[in-house]
Amino acid sequence: MVSVCFYFQVHQPIRLRKYSVFDIGNNSDYFDEQKNKEIIQKVARKCYLPTNKLLLRLINKYKDRFKVSFCISGMALEQFEKHAPEVLYSFRQLAKTGCVEFLNETYYHSLAFLFDKEEFKDQVLMHRKKIKDLFGQEAKVFRNTELIYNNELASFVQSLGYKTILAEGADHILGWRSPNYVYTPKTADKMKLLLKNYKLSDDVAFRFSNKGWKEYPLTTDKYAQWISAANGNGYVINLFMDYETFGEHQWEDTGIFEFLEHLPSEILKHPDNDFVTVSEATSRYPSVAELDIHNFMSWADIERDLSAWLGNSLQNTAANELYKIGKLVKEAGDPKLLDDWRKLTTSDHFYYMCIKWFSDGDVHKYFNPYDTPYEGFIAFMNVLNDIVIRIRDIKKQKKAITQNNTYTHKPDTGLFTHSFISEHPSKNLLNMYSYDK
Amino acid sequence: MLGWELPPFFAGGVGMVCYHLSQALCKQGIEITYVMPFGPRMIRSDYMKVLVADHIFPRMRFKLKQVETMIGAYTTQESYNEDFRKYLLSLSPRDRVKALYGRHVFEEAYLFARKVRLIALQEDFDVIHAHDHWTFPAAIAAKKATGKPLVVHVHITEFDKTGGMSVNQRVYEMEREGMHKADLVIVVSNFIKQRLINNYDVPEWKIRVVHNAAEPMDKSVYHDASKIKETDKIVLFIGRITLQKGPDYFVEAAKKVLEKDHNVKFIMAGTGDMLPRIIERVAELGIADKFIFPGFVTREEVAKLNKIADVFVMPSVSEPFGLVPLEAMWEETPAIISKQSGVAEVLNNVLKVDFWDINDIANKILALLYYRTLHNQLKKHGFIEVRNMTWEGPAKQCIAIYEELMRMKK
Repeated sequence: MVSVCFYFQVHQPIRLRKYSVFDIGNNSDYFDEQKNKEIIQKVARKCYLPTNKLLLRLINKYKDRFKVSFCISGMALEQFEKHAPEVLYSFRQLAKTGCVEFLNETYYHSLAFLFDKEEFKDQVLMHRKKIKDLFGQEAKVFRNTELIYNNELASFVQSLGYKTILAEGADHILGWRSPNYVYTPKTADKMKLLLKNYKLSDDVAFRFSNKGWKEYPLTTDKYAQWISAANGNGYVINLFMDYETFGEHQWEDTGIFEFLEHLPSEILKHPDNDFVTVSEATSRYPSVAELDIHNFMSWADIERDLSAWLGNSLQNTAANELYKIGKLVKEAGDPKLLDDWRKLTTSDHFYYMCIKWFSDGDVHKYFNPYDTPYEGFIAFMNVLNDIVIRIRDIKKQKKAITQNNTYTHKPDTGLFTHSFISEHPSKNLLNMYSYDK
Repeated sequence: MLGWELPPFFAGGVGMVCYHLSQALCKQGIEITYVMPFGPRMIRSDYMKVLVADHIFPRMRFKLKQVETMIGAYTTQESYNEDFRKYLLSLSPRDRVKALYGRHVFEEAYLFARKVRLIALQEDFDVIHAHDHWTFPAAIAAKKATGKPLVVHVHITEFDKTGGMSVNQRVYEMEREGMHKADLVIVVSNFIKQRLINNYDVPEWKIRVVHNAAEPMDKSVYHDASKIKETDKIVLFIGRITLQKGPDYFVEAAKKVLEKDHNVKFIMAGTGDMLPRIIERVAELGIADKFIFPGFVTREEVAKLNKIADVFVMPSVSEPFGLVPLEAMWEETPAIISKQSGVAEVLNNVLKVDFWDINDIANKILALLYYRTLHNQLKKHGFIEVRNMTWEGPAKQCIAIYEELMRMKK
């Protein structure tokens, strides 16, 4: 008996505009609304709408025998609400069928767990609420941004009440084991762990249209055979991938939609096979072993580690500076400021500063708003400096109120005469704390 | 090989390229007979010592035949007449007679052609490789006389020199004739390749792109700039102060930078026809105390300036390649370069801007001055990148082109 467990990741970051040094202190409009709108509408047309429609059709055709799972980031959901409500509507239709499970992640699709666990918790609870409000589901399954995972994460997530967690079935942690079984995290004995079968997942997500691949073309009967071959050697085939596979990464003319359309019938030809949601997989099958994963791993790049976001000094500096001011942002008590700061935690901003893809033709370069990682860094740091100014202004205003004065913001001209995030970050923040002029 | 200049007598990048390329070719076993017109007398001694030495390159010979003329690559009609007059005055009356053939730049080029034709008939060689348009008539003459294949090497075009305005018709025709009569054309970037296709009607199949490389300064330099650096950061511009190099955009960007931060000094090293206007503009903007104009600088001074600078800017309007940022990166100074340049095609660890976008230039200057991480990253990785760009690559490409030429002839 082999159960196919599909999980699709849906995410679009809210990208920054080319925010320059001259905007700091003068303009707190960080995000490129126009570009983000264009992108989300384009992807909706090419991917979300047609694929949702197809899935709905398949679910109705196979009446309870075809199931899938989704995880939609808060950033994507907000943009759907604003620019593509019909996409949200189609996801809600899917939810109504009862054959689709929605997972939780951090609302802002962030790396918060690595820097600030309180913030991580806040973002998870935000997402939980949003999913409940939109789709009526109290999620039992959690996946962290880009499937970043380790023991510590598992135990923390268990304390938040989840029953299942996902991770990448990377060779270096599996060893001789197979991803086709259910596991338990060593540090979270009440949870189940599902690992992505990266070979079969990437066959569809990456290799599908590659004419140089020796298995090209990938037909549904060939693929179904591979899946059935797991029989006796595992229970569950975890096909975890980016939803944009269907229509964006693999364009319509590659035949990806026809492939998806005929796959269920091929798979269900064998009476022993079926489709399951993530929770169904973990409740049906027992865990076969404990997995002890100490170092962080992810589903990104060949390395399957954190190097895509935190591999070079630009990324590390940007991330450290960002999370350092988290406490100050929250103390300032301005919800818009907090939301802006949180939008900066989205992992994509750091991905854009990755130097690895100078020689790569990476998939994430697709909607990258910058020509080079250096420009990504500059825009990000400039925005961060503006946030620091806003915190300072709020402090001044509060002070003015207590002294029965008024404070009006003046456009900031002498930027670098103040101590900002520049050469000696830690020194600047001490100045921030003791700002008392 | 036909070239117009060779260090230490040179006026810009073309001379450096000829020098490095011929050196790299010699190292790979190519025998070069470098024919060039006459420059100041000192070129012979310095230069021969470096290249001709048989004990360095035992199996190859690098002969210099100098033909007397007065032309430099950047000479205009007017400056040439002036230089020529001065030169004549410096000679003894007997020498003056010898030097007195052709008083005008174009005539010089055609005279050179006649001389080269005779030289070519005497010499034994397989391929003619001509640098820059002044040698084209000579190259064509040599090809006609000997029937050997010709490749011309385009380093810059009239369009780039003049920014597309007031292109000199005679120069244009000289360039064009060379490109069409040649069997193959080498260009220093895709940027120039496109120029040749669009403005000179050269068919694409004929063009080969060979990017220039970087070469280190021979000595390491030390300079004590502690006085200035105590209070101020330094932003550097090196190049001819002329339209093509975008010095005016540099000045406007400087003004914007100074609005945000007073403690920056701007150094513009070089001379050119726009210098007076630039100085005026700087005064107009009220930032004259922030600018330093050292005038023409030697190679050693260039290295020193590059070393003490915090940021290097090349805002060229139209740059066929652009060796100057490579020199800055070699001295571990991050560079901001114009996208409208050939070198932007090959560099990764630089910041790129559109030359007209002074806001972006100022934005990037400030970012480099104040985000230490960014500065360190570009400084370190820029140096590594430049270190790996040796002349071995371009030399190999040229050799492949020579072989292709000889196959074509058969």
